[in-house]
Amino acid sequence: MRLEVKNIRKSFGDKEVLHGISFAVESGSALGLLGRNGAGKTTTIRILMDVFKGDEGQVLLDGVRFNPKKLGIGYLPEERGLYPKKKVGEQIIYLAQLRGMGPKEAKESMKKWLARLEVSEYENRQLETLSKGNQQKVQLAQTLVCNPQIIILDEPFSGLDPVNSQVLKDVILEEIQNGKLVIFSSHQMSYVEEFCKDIIIINKGNTVLSGDLRNIKREYGKNRLVLSVSDMGHSELRRIADEKFGHLITVYGNNKEQLILEMKPGATKQAIMVALIESGLDVETFGSYQPSLNDIFVERAGD
Amino acid sequence: MKQFLTVLKFEIGNYFKNKSFVYTTIILALIMAGVVIIPTFFMGNSDNKADPEDDSKTVVALLDEKGILGDLEEFERLIPEYDWVNCSDERELKDAVNNDKAEAGFMILGETQYTYVVENRSMMDSIQEAFEDGLARHYRENAFGAMGIDAESVEALYNTPIESDTMILGKDSAKNYMYTYVLVFVMYLMVIFYGQMIATSVTSEKSNRAIEILVTSVNSNSLIFGKVLAGAISSIIQGGVILGAGIVSYNAFRGAWNNQLDFLFDIPTDVWLTFILFGILGYLLYAFIFGMLGALVSKTEDISKSSTPITLIYVAAFIIAIVGMNSPDSVMMKVASFIPFTSCNCMFIRVAMGSVSAVEVVISALILMISCVFTGFLAAKVFRFGTLMYGNPIKFTNALKKIREK
Repeated sequence: MRLEVKNIRKSFGDKEVLHGISFAVESGSALGLLGRNGAGKTTTIRILMDVFKGDEGQVLLDGVRFNPKKLGIGYLPEERGLYPKKKVGEQIIYLAQLRGMGPKEAKESMKKWLARLEVSEYENRQLETLSKGNQQKVQLAQTLVCNPQIIILDEPFSGLDPVNSQVLKDVILEEIQNGKLVIFSSHQMSYVEEFCKDIIIINKGNTVLSGDLRNIKREYGKNRLVLSVSDMGHSELRRIADEKFGHLITVYGNNKEQLILEMKPGATKQAIMVALIESGLDVETFGSYQPSLNDIFVERAGD
Repeated sequence: MKQFLTVLKFEIGNYFKNKSFVYTTIILALIMAGVVIIPTFFMGNSDNKADPEDDSKTVVALLDEKGILGDLEEFERLIPEYDWVNCSDERELKDAVNNDKAEAGFMILGETQYTYVVENRSMMDSIQEAFEDGLARHYRENAFGAMGIDAESVEALYNTPIESDTMILGKDSAKNYMYTYVLVFVMYLMVIFYGQMIATSVTSEKSNRAIEILVTSVNSNSLIFGKVLAGAISSIIQGGVILGAGIVSYNAFRGAWNNQLDFLFDIPTDVWLTFILFGILGYLLYAFIFGMLGALVSKTEDISKSSTPITLIYVAAFIIAIVGMNSPDSVMMKVASFIPFTSCNCMFIRVAMGSVSAVEVVISALILMISCVFTGFLAAKVFRFGTLMYGNPIKFTNALKKIREK
C-alpha cells in the first residue's frame, strides 16, 4: 500500500495554517512527521484521518481517495481520551467492534494486546483508576486492537517512562516488520531516528525538509568534519582553526564536544589532516560529521 | 447499520449498568406501587368503624346578645353538624376561639346579619357556609310562619330531588380530564428530566476527548442516532416500569379501591395507542434537539445553559396543551396538533377529549415523524461540525450557517 498526501492546504478562519503539505509512505516502513509545537502536525494528521476536511489537496491510497473509516485505521490521536468510567476491556471491545470486528474476535484481540502491552491485570478496572502511563498503554491497545494495516500515532511516547517506551518501541518495530504502514509524529528525535525510513519536517505550515532519512543525513554531513582537541575549549579551538586552517575550512558550528568544520572548495581531508599534524595540536577526534536528526531539526525548524 | 446497533447496544448498556439508574427505577416503581396499595389498608379499617357518633363534632361558639334568634336550642338544631357553646359576651366568644375551645364563633347582629370570628382561616373553611344556610333557613321559617305558611312543606318543596341520566355521544371530558392531564404531565416530566440526560451523553465524548477516536471509527449518523435512541429507549423503559407498577398494582387492588381511581387508570385503548405513538415521536423529537444542543458544547457544565431555549419551548408547548384541554376542539388546538413541537401533546388531547378524524391523526403523526428524522440528521451534522470545536459553546445559528456553507 502506498499512502500519499498531496498538497494539503487548510485555513482556520482567515489564517492559513498548512500551505501545501505533501508526502508519501509505503507499507513496511514508517514516516516521521516532525515539527515544532504548532507547526501543523496534528492538523495534517486530522485531515489525513478525515476528522475535518482540508481546503485543498487530496489524500490517496494506492491512487484512490483514502477513506479511513472503511479501512479500520489504528489511530492514536494527540487528544488522548476514552471513557473514564468504563472498564478497560469493555471499551476496547466496543471500539474494535465499531471498526468492524466481530464480538468474539474483538475480545480475543483485546486480550492479546493488553497482554502484549503488559496491562492485562487492568482489564476489568475502570480506566480512570489507572495511572497516566497505563492509560496511555490502554490507548495504544485500543489503537492496535483491530489489527490495522495503517497505524497513525500522534506523539505516542509522551507520558511513558523509559521501560514503557521500550515496550512501545518494540511493538512499533514489530508492526513495521509485519508490513504495516506507520506514520508517527514526535518531538523525540531519537525514536524517529530508530524507526523511520523517511521523515518530513514541517515548520509554520510549510514542508521544510522531506525524504529518506539516511540520504538527508548523508547530504547534511557532506563536506563537513568534526574536530576536538584535548583540553581546549570551543572558542580557543575556533580561533586557532580560523588562524591556521582558514584557507582549508570555515567553522560551521559546534555540538557539545566538537567543532563542526566545513571544507572549502578544493580542500581535501588529507590536506586538512596534514595541516593538523603540522600544527602539533593534541587531536582528540577528527572525522566525518554524522549529523543527528536533532541537529538537522534544530537547524531547519528553528527560527 | 451494524455500527448503529453496536453504538445502541453500548449506550443502552451504559444506562443499565449504571447502578443509580437501576436503583432509581426500582425505588420509584416501589413508591408508585406503594402509593396505590398502601391506602387500601386504611380504607379497609375505616369501613369497620363507620360510626358517626364516635367522631367528636367541631365545636362552634355562638353569641346572640340581643336574643334575635329566640330559642337558641331550636336554632342550633337546624345546624346539627356542630356542637355549640353559647357565650354571653364578645370577650367570652373571642376567648373561646383563641383558646381552641371552639373552632370558630358567630356573633348575631340581626336576623340576617352576623360577624364570623375565627383564629386562622383555612382555605377549605366550610363552617361559615353551613352557618349561613342555617341562618337563612331560620329566617325563612320565621318569615313563612309570620305569613301563615307551613315552613316545613315549603322546605320540602325546595328539596325535591331531580332524577337525571346522562347520555354521552362523544367524549366525556369530565371523566377523561384527569388521566389526560396525568399523561400530558408524564410526557412533560420525561422531556424535562431525560432531555438533559441525553444531551449529557452526547457531550460526554467531547468532554472526555474520546470523540476523535469515535469520529474516525464510526459514521456520525450512527453515533448520534445510537446515542439518542439509547437514551430514549432507556428512559421509556424506566418510565414504563414506574407507570406499569402503578397500573398493575391498581388492577390487583381495584376491588379495595372500589374503582375509585378509574378516572386515573381506566384509559381506553385508542387513547393509550395515541399517547404511545405521539408520546414516543414527540419525545424523540425533543431528544434529538437535546442531543444536538449537547453536540454544540464541549463541557457537560455548559449543557444547562445551552438547553434553556428548548426547555422554554417545551414549557410553552406544555402550557398550550394544559390550556387547550379546556376546549380540545378549538382552533388553537387544531393548529397546535399539527405543529411538531406541540402536536405530541395536542393531538393526543384531541383524541382523548375532542373529536378528530383518523386522517388528521395520520397526517400529524407523519409530520412529526419526518421532523424527527430531519432533526436527527441535522443533529448528526451539528455533532460532526462541532466535533473538535473545544472551548466556548458554539452558537446554534453559527453552526447552521457553517453546515449550509458546506
